[in-house]
Amino acid sequence: MAATGEVKRKSFFRDWILTVDHKKIGIMYALTSLVFFFVGGLAAILIRTQLALPNSVVLEPQQFNQAFTMHGTIMIFLWIIPMLTGAFGNYLVPIMIGAYDMAFPKMNALSYWLFLLGGLVLFFSFVVGAVPDVGWTAYPPYSIQSQGAGLDLWVTAVHILGLSSILAAINFIVTTFNMRAPGMTFNRMPLFVWANLVTSFIQLFGTPALAGAVTTLLLDRHAHTAFYDVAQGGDPMMYQHLFWFYSHPAVYVMVIPAMGIVSEIMPVFARKPIFGYKAIAYSSVMIGLLGFLVWAHHMFVAGMQMSAGIPFMITSMIIAIPTAIKIFNWLATLWGGQIRYTTPMLFASLGFIGLFTIGGLSGIFLGAVPIDLNLHDTYFVIGHFHYVVFGGSMVAILAGLFYWFPKVTGRMYMEKFGQFSFWLYFIGTNLTFFPMFMLGMKGMPRRVFYYQPELTTINQVATLGSYLIGFASLLLVVNIFYSLFKGKKVTSDNPWGADTLEWTHTQTPPSEFNFEALPVVTSDPYNFGEKTRKGSLDDDGVTA
Amino acid sequence: MGGFNFGLPDALTQTAKDIDGLFGMVFWITLVVFVLVEGLLAFFLIRYKRKHPDKQGYAIHGSTKAEVIWTLIPALILVFIGVWSSGMVYTIQTPPSDVYEIKVTGMKWAWEFEYPNGAKSYGELHLPKDRNVMFKITSKDVIHSFWIPEFRMKQDAVPGRMTSFTVKLADEVKAGTKLPERIVCAEYCGNNHSKMLANIVIDDKATFDSWVAAEKNRKKTDAASVIQANGCTSCHTIDGGKSAGPTWKGLAGKHDEAYIKESITNPNAKIAEGFQPGMMPAFDKLDEESLNNVVKYIETLK
Repeated sequence: MAATGEVKRKSFFRDWILTVDHKKIGIMYALTSLVFFFVGGLAAILIRTQLALPNSVVLEPQQFNQAFTMHGTIMIFLWIIPMLTGAFGNYLVPIMIGAYDMAFPKMNALSYWLFLLGGLVLFFSFVVGAVPDVGWTAYPPYSIQSQGAGLDLWVTAVHILGLSSILAAINFIVTTFNMRAPGMTFNRMPLFVWANLVTSFIQLFGTPALAGAVTTLLLDRHAHTAFYDVAQGGDPMMYQHLFWFYSHPAVYVMVIPAMGIVSEIMPVFARKPIFGYKAIAYSSVMIGLLGFLVWAHHMFVAGMQMSAGIPFMITSMIIAIPTAIKIFNWLATLWGGQIRYTTPMLFASLGFIGLFTIGGLSGIFLGAVPIDLNLHDTYFVIGHFHYVVFGGSMVAILAGLFYWFPKVTGRMYMEKFGQFSFWLYFIGTNLTFFPMFMLGMKGMPRRVFYYQPELTTINQVATLGSYLIGFASLLLVVNIFYSLFKGKKVTSDNPWGADTLEWTHTQTPPSEFNFEALPVVTSDPYNFGEKTRKGSLDDDGVTA
Repeated sequence: MGGFNFGLPDALTQTAKDIDGLFGMVFWITLVVFVLVEGLLAFFLIRYKRKHPDKQGYAIHGSTKAEVIWTLIPALILVFIGVWSSGMVYTIQTPPSDVYEIKVTGMKWAWEFEYPNGAKSYGELHLPKDRNVMFKITSKDVIHSFWIPEFRMKQDAVPGRMTSFTVKLADEVKAGTKLPERIVCAEYCGNNHSKMLANIVIDDKATFDSWVAAEKNRKKTDAASVIQANGCTSCHTIDGGKSAGPTWKGLAGKHDEAYIKESITNPNAKIAEGFQPGMMPAFDKLDEESLNNVVKYIETLK
């Protein structure tokens, strides 16, 4: 940095468009994906509005199909993944490990711009009036036969977004391995960094499979190859294998960083060290590895021999164990703590643990092949993965947004207002997604705009819940933007009394290169609490 | 039939009841875990709420003993569920030696059922009691999924592939039972995926045999049979409602008989306003009598 003279204020163009600062790139990821979230959310509201009555005509069949296709695609590729890895990962990882920036700052900027481009390509389908209607899974032969440019734009967008993910993953891996501050050993890294590292490996190894899968769709459609054309000896099931080889690990891309956020927040507000640091960190690694071995549990009824599902059932059951380990460790972190109820803590504890547990437990039903024969592709599945991805990932994102808001902006969000929106989200999530289990059990398949009139009341409860979530999301925006300009200025650099470097060693907001001098790390990241009482569970010989 | 079954529909086969048994066991296990986790969460949040701003919790970093316990217990429970499920998979997958085969073909957007003597039915599946019925499932176009919630069973209908499952109705299921719209397509297949439904009729042996024999010889040129066999109403409503194709209501007032016929045998010749070409296949193999009957039927929809 310049030692003398006034620092000239940069133009907006230089300051943001040309930036290679990981913090600004993180903020741009956050704002962009938040805009996409509202488009994806609008699609969800449309779907639920159509389903408020069994035979309603709010949407025409094709519009309904476009709505759920765009909802799934946007929420996964343009909201949850970029928000968790792009926004939180970018902003936090370099600071948390004590680095000045990412290893490849320009490549980092490229990742963001590719992400934006991918989003715009997908949205271009609105402009040309060819919104894809193939579902976010785009199974052939249906997807290949679909009309118009919708599928082509969808595939192009997925390719660009995939490239963005791969570049970001490489960047995170290199950064985490090579740029840690002195003393920042692997076992002293904050748990979010562990989570982000595992996630990056998943992205790096999984995304090429998806790229291959969607490329073959284009080839079949335009170059008349025969990957999936039965008449020429192709097999549509091959696509499903390739697709889920990426897309099941993608679920963990959406969940592991969310778990990382929860692990950051819990100890700070419980004033206790995280319980079982290594168990939580290494269970992420286990989930990352096992995540590549469960894909065919999406295909138990797809035409495989039924017993061929058994190995995948077993791996799916095994992957429940590291997840359970995390839940129990978080509970043990709360035990004997001094818990302060703040908005981020409510989202992380009652929100994430409370809701994600339902998502995880409902997964055991679907993982068991015989039960899945009935419940596969029904609303039970929709309920299950929304408890995971909304009750889990989304709620953790909200926890993280509130938690790091004062550090990023220098101002405090509105606490009471934040807690109010927590309760709206919490009630709304249960009202929306719990009835879906019942709908699936009673015989409602997914992706339908018509259902049997007996199911009207249950559907209406879900629709009501979705409106609550929509309202809560508007309140979120009000809270963010009001606080951004009018919120109380934060006087301390560490208002929560946290112990990770982004709180203890940076200004608020952090300066351009994060630290005045490289921090030297001498202890683990969650040094809270007073001496343990006698006879407690702590037999590891570790004391504060 | 009867008893508490978690809000699932009546289980009409022994396999369905077995699957419900597994469902019940998983339900009670997960309920216990659910109550334990949510209960502890609520209890800890309330019990350990901070009363003084500067108070610290205990400096406990972990416990190997606890980690081992809460790794092993879930593992044992999951092994139990896994072993039970695996055994059931082999039972379901192995069909009995004497099966009565019904070929099920999914198409956009209707179900075709073909019985061993060559008789075909559309939109309605007749099932004989006291027989092991094996469904041989495939598709004419895209992937569908043949799901019957009362049997707790589904298999995708995949083009170029034959999937199957076998059912035997439970003894207490009465002949003459009708299950309207309980054959459901569970794999997204396009605009009328939601309405790709079919009925089930359960017959005793004698009724079924005479029905299937009569069905084979029945001349199917009446409008209802032709419309079902070709899945017309999947895309065309008869009441003026919107769907993938133009409604039939009031069509006769707008167009003459020749136009309607041409629209069936060569649908791309003239395209109705607001619709795209290429959506409808050409039904040019219909015999004259069938075609006339359908057109006459359409003309009654004023």
